[in-house]
Formats: sequence, structure tokens, C-alpha cells
Amino acid sequence: MKALSKENWLEFIDRLISESGKEVIGVKAKGSKFVFAPLEEAKELRLDYDVTILPPKKQLLPPHEELLTYDITKPFEVLSRMDDQEKILVGVHPYDVMAIHQMDEIYLGTHTDDHYDSRRKNTMIIASDILNVSERSFAGSLGTHVVETGFDLLVTDIGNSMIVNIGSEKGEELISKYAVVRNANPKEIEAVDRLREELPGKYRRKLKVDKYQWEKLLSENYEHPIWEENSKKCLTCGSCTLVCPTCFCYDVQDVVNINLKEGQRMRTWDGCLLREFTAVAGGEVFRETVKERYRHRYYRKGMYLPVRNGFVACVGCGRCATQCLPDIADPLEVMNVLASYSMHEKHDMPIPDVKQKGITDDLLIPEAATIVRKERQTDMETLYVLKLDSGKELGHRPGQFVEVSIFGVGEAPISVSSSPGGETFELLVRRIGDLTTKLETLKIGDKVGIRGPFGNGFDVKELEGKDLLFISGGCGLAPTRSLIEYVFEHRSDFGKVTILYGCKEPGAILFNDDLKRWHDQNDTVLETTVDGCPDGQCWDGNIGVITTLFPRIDFDPASTISIIVGPPVMYKFVIKELKGRNVPDENIIVSLERRMKCGVGKCGHCQMNGIYVCLEGPVFKYKDVKDLPEAF
Amino acid sequence: MKPRVAFFDFASCEGCQLQVVNLEEKILDLIDVVEIVSFREAMKEHSDDYDIAFIEGSIQRPMDEERLKKIRKNAKILVALGACACIGGVNKLRNEWTVDQVKEEVYKDADIEGNDLFDVFPTKAVDEVVDVDFYIPGCPINRNEFVKIVSQIAIGRKPKLPSYPVCVECKKNENICVFELGKFCLGPVTRAGCDAICPSFQDGCEGCRGFLDDPKMNCQKDVLRKYGITLDEMMKRLNMFNYKKGVY
Repeated sequence: MKALSKENWLEFIDRLISESGKEVIGVKAKGSKFVFAPLEEAKELRLDYDVTILPPKKQLLPPHEELLTYDITKPFEVLSRMDDQEKILVGVHPYDVMAIHQMDEIYLGTHTDDHYDSRRKNTMIIASDILNVSERSFAGSLGTHVVETGFDLLVTDIGNSMIVNIGSEKGEELISKYAVVRNANPKEIEAVDRLREELPGKYRRKLKVDKYQWEKLLSENYEHPIWEENSKKCLTCGSCTLVCPTCFCYDVQDVVNINLKEGQRMRTWDGCLLREFTAVAGGEVFRETVKERYRHRYYRKGMYLPVRNGFVACVGCGRCATQCLPDIADPLEVMNVLASYSMHEKHDMPIPDVKQKGITDDLLIPEAATIVRKERQTDMETLYVLKLDSGKELGHRPGQFVEVSIFGVGEAPISVSSSPGGETFELLVRRIGDLTTKLETLKIGDKVGIRGPFGNGFDVKELEGKDLLFISGGCGLAPTRSLIEYVFEHRSDFGKVTILYGCKEPGAILFNDDLKRWHDQNDTVLETTVDGCPDGQCWDGNIGVITTLFPRIDFDPASTISIIVGPPVMYKFVIKELKGRNVPDENIIVSLERRMKCGVGKCGHCQMNGIYVCLEGPVFKYKDVKDLPEAF
Repeated sequence: MKPRVAFFDFASCEGCQLQVVNLEEKILDLIDVVEIVSFREAMKEHSDDYDIAFIEGSIQRPMDEERLKKIRKNAKILVALGACACIGGVNKLRNEWTVDQVKEEVYKDADIEGNDLFDVFPTKAVDEVVDVDFYIPGCPINRNEFVKIVSQIAIGRKPKLPSYPVCVECKKNENICVFELGKFCLGPVTRAGCDAICPSFQDGCEGCRGFLDDPKMNCQKDVLRKYGITLDEMMKRLNMFNYKKGVY
């Protein structure tokens, strides 16, 4: 360890500000509180702070950031600039160092987020040991009050001098270039050790349950009365998530300049306490009650991320507790209540082990595709045939989806409805939100952006040799069609095919030509139904919900795989019917709709308990999700 | 063809139209994409041939209703501009009293009998008289939001106001919560979109953008009580822009 006098420390920081060419961002006072902000001189730095209002997360994942710019008057022009400003964060407390490490796992893990990566690579961290404990912090109970890695330098103010722990080569270079240091003497090292040892005792708030027990405790208390009780006091203002160093969810929106030419695609912080966090264009909100949203935050921190990433996504900084006006956001209090009064009703919520195909391209930049054909299917739905301008195949599996972009409007997830392969691919789109409404106005030859394909899709190899029972409702036929076409293209690999298709009314039936063609295939049964037939429409088939078709069909429950895709309300009834016919759980496959936004398991919107539907889904084996409280 | 735009004012201070005039150089971009055919505060020409009507102010009299209904007929898109138009705003405060009481208080012995200009009913927001397509709330409106919404309309999107409270923007601005400054705030129940301008200047939100669709009013009141706000202070603040007789 190195040591430097207080004067030399201030001189070091001043030299960083004036000579290093990097932006120096340190902890400064804001009224009676503290914030990370650019330092103009070393004197402003307040290492005696307790906690900052916002965590240093904002330097790596800003509250508002431009992902790309576009010019909508040109066919397809995208410009993405990375923020490569070199920065030094000074005074980061150990709990925030750990939170940044967690953020690295999320944003640099499986799929690298280039914007985050660029900022992170250009950011050095000078951490600081905690001198004053924040009133609501419980870092002492989580072991996040001290840190051994994850910084370039770690400084400890021991009164007369500053002791520096070097954490990286870059840190060493920095200190040797800009500071006058000597080796720390044993007394000084002892002072640092003592400061760290005495720190836990300074926390007035103690956790009664070890953080490694949170996962188990939460798994037993999904229906604990505390969720309902506390949620009644919740303002749903989202403050707890916005000030949290381990909340990483974001939203993306297109902004158009008033000249209607250029615009930006902006990423902003989002939070799972806000009602529209899970809302899809069709109006469905998957976590409608405050109780569900309030509970989700704790489960994400204490169970879902620990299962997925191996860390408890709470570092005990106490910011949420400080900011929550009704004071119900404190993980310490909630975990202590659960520890003292546990329900012991175990809910297992495993994450299916599905490896998404490696996505190596830029995650956030769409590639150009041209509309080569448009076919109106119903009043509400149009089929688009698209071709990537790169000339490459889309390379999708049946059941996968893409994010369709129109600059200035935004993105929407659409499942691919054509079978794999070929120069073109097809999307069936219902006009329901801004993007899908705008899409209808586009002409053949116009361009859209495509990201993906995303999601797991159907495992066609597993279906080989089986009889297949397709059960589709409404738009659910679109992704199902991709698989049905694949099956007919490889007819000999599969057994008997039965297709049940239900729609609201005759005028809403999709893919009429395909339905006729499928009907005429060998060893294939096709049954359709409508919920009702309004005046002016013709229908001589079955009338009733999709389950009314079941008496008409015959299948062997042991050798038949059922594939259900439809509106959320349909699953429960269809599955009940299948169970009545003794179909085992493992022979049921479902594809579920959620708010898929990023497609790569980062933005958080499609989360269904611990599962990211965009990564582990949208296709699931029923047996894997049937006990998930948020699945059906 | 550029959409033809007209501005109309009813009972208001016309400060929201002033915000539009205050767009300064951006107004040049604006008239590049829309054609302004009527805007009393900025030009003398007038036309009844327009696509988009911006309505400022609340509705006070039968003659206002008639005029507003005509505008609705002429316009393809009608936008309520500012707190008075969107929610009635401060004008609704007078609904606490009867029309006669108000006249007595304000005009005393003045001779207003039989004069249509003084023939008022309890204040109404624009959407209590005609259908409103889009809202641009606030007292006054936020210029950036105005530009954002107009460009969205022009590009064919359906502008949507934030469904979350002012706290979201306030936190992103890293403000000290005004409750910690010993003041109080309606931010947790008020629709965001103003970039939390009042709390960013250490002042409590007064709710000028209207409350959320699903405000947690009971929780908000509990919080106000917890911070020692008297019932009187609380009611004054809740009613200031969002008066509803006997609701809070």
C-alpha cells in the first residue's frame, strides 16, 4: 500500500483535473446531500460523504442516452456514436463498486452492450473506504462495506494521510504519473485495517438473515401478507428503482426533431414499479396490481438475479429506503419481517436452461430490410414480405421474433410467420400501436429496420417422429405458421398433424389460402372455429371458443405434442382440456407474449418471474413454467 | 401538404400560447412543417380552414361552448393546450361557489344583468364539452413537450403523455426530495412530462399537469400527514389546479 499526505492527495486530484485529459467526476455536496459531479478543483471532493442521491451508475448508464441518430428523409441511414470520453470516478464507496461489477455482468455478459462497453472501458474508478455510514445503509450486514477488487485505486482517509491500495495497472500508472507517494508504514496499514474492522459496528441497521438465505426465504414467501400490506402504502412512484445502483432496466423511444427530418433513438431509465413497464401494444398489462409490482422488485433482487447471475442484487446502500416517502422500500426491513415470520410455502421458480443463439452483431442497431410484398389479410392484419438489404438470410427458427423499427416511431416485436430459409421472410402484423399503424402506410420498396431474430424458437428436432397438435387463437397462428410450414416441408419427419384454429369472427381468419392448403395435406386434420358470426359475414363451420373443437378430434396423448399459441386468456382453458384428455405436461408446448423490448435480456420488460421471455422463451415447455405464478 | 394549424383561446391567461411564441428559432422549424392559419397572439390573419386546432383555456359560457363545438367540427385533430384546457385548472376553483355567489363577489353592483358575456356556468375543461384527441398539459405548457407532441402528430404517431409521476423525472435529475427540504409536493400523484421543473428549483409540485390516471391519493395523503402538513394546506394544494368539489 502507498501513502500520501493530505496536501499531496489534493494535488494529485488537481493534477488529474488539469493534466490527465480525463473528466474527473467526484463526490460533491449538493445542499445537505451529495452527488457525483464533475470536479473543478480537488477542494470540492467530499470523501466524508455518507451516500450520494444517485449512484455512480448514472455515469455508465445515463438516465437519458442517445443510442443512434437517423435521418428519416433518407432511405435508411443510421449513425451510432459511442461515448468514449475518458473519465475518472473519485470516491466510489465499496457497495457502489460492487454494484458496478453487477452491472458489468448484465451489460457485458452474454450479449455485450456496445454503448455501456464504451463508457466502461473509458472509466477508471478511484474507490474510497466509507468514513461516515449512511443512516439507512446496511452494507455492514451484506459485506459490501469493504471491497477488494473492482477498482483502479482504493483510498482510505486515516486522518493525517491518505492510504492508497492499487487495484489495477492503470491505477498504478495514474498514481505514479500524477502523485507523490511513499510506501505506507505499518502503523498506517494498521489504521486502515482498524477502520475497516470497526466499520460494521457503525451500522445501526442489521439484517437478521444472511444474504445467501434470501433466495430460500423468498421462495417460501411468495404469498406472504407483507406484499399486500406494504403495497397498499405504495405510491408506485418508482423512486426506489430509479435511485438503486442495481436496477438496470431501461426503455427506448424515438424522438423526432421538429423539422421532421432527423431524430434520435433514446434510451432512458425505466422501473418495474411503474404500471406500463409490462404493458404491450394490445393493452395487456402483465403485472397489473401494485402488489405484483412491489413484490417483483424484491424477488428480482433477492431471488431472480441470484439464481441467474449468482449475486444478490442489493448492495445495502439504503438509497431506496431514504427516498421512499411511505418508507416501504427498505429491503432490510422486508427481509427481517420474512425472517421472523416465514410462510414456508415453497415456490420453485427455475429458469429453463436455454441457450439463445449467439448474437454477435450490434445489439441495438437495426439493419435495413425492404418490403417486397404486402398482402392484406383482414381489416386489422397485413402480411409483409421482407428482404434484408444485406442479401443475407434472416436465419431464424420457427417461433422466433424480430424487432421491427421505423425511425421516428420506434420498435415493435413481431414473430416471424414464414418457415426458415429463403431470401425473404414474412411478418404478420396487426395494426394496434404506433409502429404497426405506421407500417401499414409504407409501400413496397420502403425500408424498415430489423433486429434479431430473438428468442429460442421451437426445438424442431425434439418434435421429430411425434404427432403434432397445433392449437392457435387469433394472431397466434402467425408464429405457429412458421412451424407448420416447416413440418410440411419435412413431412416425413413428423407423424400425424392436427391443426385447431380459433378466431373472433370469420372476417378475422388469417392465412385463408394456407389453411386450405394445409387441409389438403396427407394425414392432416384441420378444424376451425369462430367465437361468433356478426351480421353480414358468412360462416358454416363451428361456432364457439377453441375448446369446442376438441370433441371433434382424436389423438394419442402419449405420442402427441401439443403446441399452443394464442391470446393470454386462451392458455388456461386449452390446457385444462388437454389435461382432461390425459396429455402429460411434458407433451405441451406454449409460446407466451410479453413486452419484448431489447430482445437480449437486459431491459427487463418481458420478465416473467425469473425468466426473460426474450431469452428463455417465448417458446416454453409447459412443465417448465406451469408453476410460475406469473406465467398464465 | 403541410397540416394547417390554428390556435384558439378561451378563459385563460394566454400564457400557453406565449410559450409557443417563445419557441423563438424553433418556431421557424415549426412553420416549415405546419402552416399556421390562425394565431391571434402572433398574427392578424385568420382562417377557418384548418386541420389541427389548439385550444387554450377553460370553458365558461354557453357562447364558448358553441364556439368550441364549431372548432371541433372544423378540425380533424383537436389538442387541449395547457392546464385550463386540459383539466380546468385554476379557473375551476370558482366551482366551489355558485355562479351567483361568484358574480356577487366579483362584480357587486356592476350592471351585468342580461349581458351574455357574463352568462357563465361552472367552469369546464375542454373535454367536458367536446372530444379531445391529445393533451398538452401544464401551467404553462412545457415548450419541449409541445414540440415533441406536435412532431409526433405530424409524423403520424399518437402522442402519449407519461403515465408515471413527476418523481421519475425528479429522481433522474438527482434533486433533493422537497420533503427533505421541509416543503411538500404533489409529484407522486402528478403526471410527469415537465422534467420536474418545480422540484428541480426546490419547490413542491402543485399538480398543474393533472393527476395520474390512477393516483395513489390515499398514500399521498398519508405521506403529507406523516410530514405534518395540515389538512388546510393539503386541500389548498390539491385543489389549486385539480379542483373537484368534495373529492379530496
